[in-house]
Amino acid sequence: MSSDTVADRELRAKCEEFLFHTAELLDNRKLSEWHNLLTEDITYRVPIRTTRERANQAEFSDQSFHMKEDWGTLKVRTERMNNDFAWSEDPPSRTRRHVNNVRIIENDGAEVELKNNLLIFRQQGDETEPDILSMERQDTLRRTEEGFKLADRRVYLDHTIIPTNTLSIIL
Amino acid sequence: MSHQTDQSPSTAGTDPSRVQQVLGAMGETLEDGEVPIEILNNEDVYQEELKRIFGQVWVYIGHESEVPEPGDYRQRTIGEDPFIFVHGEDGDHYVLFNSCRHRGANVCRAEKGNTTHFRCPYHGWTYDNTGELTGVPQKAAGFDHLEADEYGLHEVPRVEAYNGLVFASMNADAPPLEEYLGGATWFLDMYFNLIDMEVIGDPHRWEVENDWKTPTENFSGDNYHIPMGHKSAIDAGVGSDTATGEKESELYGIADCDGHSFSFYQIESDEPTYWGHPPEVVEEFNHNDVTDNQHEVARKSGVTLGNIFPNLSFIFLGGRDDPEKESVGTFLLRKWEPRGPGKMEVVNWVLAPKDASKEYKERVYEVGMANFSPSGNFEVDDVGIWYGIDDAAGSVFAQKQNVRTLFTMGRGENPDATVAQDWVGPGTAYRNGGMTDENQLDFYRKWYKTMANEEVN
Repeated sequence: MSSDTVADRELRAKCEEFLFHTAELLDNRKLSEWHNLLTEDITYRVPIRTTRERANQAEFSDQSFHMKEDWGTLKVRTERMNNDFAWSEDPPSRTRRHVNNVRIIENDGAEVELKNNLLIFRQQGDETEPDILSMERQDTLRRTEEGFKLADRRVYLDHTIIPTNTLSIIL
Repeated sequence: MSHQTDQSPSTAGTDPSRVQQVLGAMGETLEDGEVPIEILNNEDVYQEELKRIFGQVWVYIGHESEVPEPGDYRQRTIGEDPFIFVHGEDGDHYVLFNSCRHRGANVCRAEKGNTTHFRCPYHGWTYDNTGELTGVPQKAAGFDHLEADEYGLHEVPRVEAYNGLVFASMNADAPPLEEYLGGATWFLDMYFNLIDMEVIGDPHRWEVENDWKTPTENFSGDNYHIPMGHKSAIDAGVGSDTATGEKESELYGIADCDGHSFSFYQIESDEPTYWGHPPEVVEEFNHNDVTDNQHEVARKSGVTLGNIFPNLSFIFLGGRDDPEKESVGTFLLRKWEPRGPGKMEVVNWVLAPKDASKEYKERVYEVGMANFSPSGNFEVDDVGIWYGIDDAAGSVFAQKQNVRTLFTMGRGENPDATVAQDWVGPGTAYRNGGMTDENQLDFYRKWYKTMANEEVN
């Protein structure tokens, strides 16, 4: 691993600030505010994972996805989730996103590529057993006049069978 | 639960006589359109369902396009039981029990792949991809008495395909698949003879706290829930043209079709619909491989959906994932896998026309996923409106009061839903089919007959 300079630490702190802030927006169901922090050319993908033999590296599908989104489809989803008739989120699920292990992969000045781990705690109604979703995200943050925006997200789930009733939350 | 320690091992924790009581009560009210809610969450009923339904009838395994090459395999279940769906070296499709003949371990541990052989990790017994036993370590030293050809992997007694859809039945005496599908063949021929379809990629799989029969009864023809249950998706402008009201349609609810049920939204227009497929895709269809009647129904089809008993549903719709984008036709097959009383796993496949462009197939996938999948704009609200059915069904109150769900819509003096005399397909078609429960009730009639063993197939 390369030596961690002050500049590296500052960059990581700035990226973490963006990730923590967007996680808070989603936990607090401020979906249109979250959507405002996406670039208009965003690609957002959650590929399906299958159990494979160790020798086969292709656990994640390049053809099939739980979500395969662009700016427009994410707008549809976030607006729909705010609709008074969006039953899967009314009463809303209580989510808490735990973002950690932030690793900067590349910084070319315009964009920063990074990896982070995400654990989502989700409960709905009077459930006492939470649904736990675990994943790695590979994100590209773009510098804009308004600060960082999310330009690309790949979500690599630690699940083959999704262990929650619906993915009516954003990962 | 724990005080019942005197149960015999074969029925540990379950009580078949309780099932007879529930079926008895169901028989009394079924034709009045009332179904005991208890059957949606009852351990005894569930255990008997696994045997009497999933252990008897033809159950969907997968589509041939999921295992295109010899050696390709996918793990699949019948009820909760583990099987390998494999394209054998000899070109046939096999459904093999995933358990070594020696000591029972799984011989296949990946969800999918391609292999010439399955090798048990326990002692190394090896089977070829048709299930034949081909290797036993130190056979001469310890198993010289073993006739290898008698110890291949167990196969499901009956495996048959219809239009590329592979089904299996644990009942050696089951009628031929085509006979079991009955009237459903008319619809399957219309889809699969007209359009060469293939499964795209891997299925979605997710766990839902509902009994497998809840979505099954829904897909058997609950068109009544759409304005309320799916308002958020319709408002978002991502539904079909018929759901958004963009196009007027006539809805036919098809009942009396051998336990399988269908709904057809037909758009009367000079402009052909073909489930929202655009002209350049429609051009490639096999227009001469279906009957004139099938062709006419296909031409006018907006959304069509249904269920093949017991747990294979489908929806074919023209829709979009963003109101700014063009509509495409997307076909979804879904299997509601029993995973315990009041619990299921959903398996969802997206199918696209095989000969369409790569770009079009990607759009078909995206639109299918955006509407029907764990994240589907329509599907999430289906699951969202079913919350608590399992709790009510499993309640003491429901048992004590014999709480029943209602399938009596359209039984008044002046029902909107009337039998369409001009229907050209099989079964009995109800015009204004959203206003009848007969197609949904057929699912429970078939369930009841199969559970009561009045009909073994």
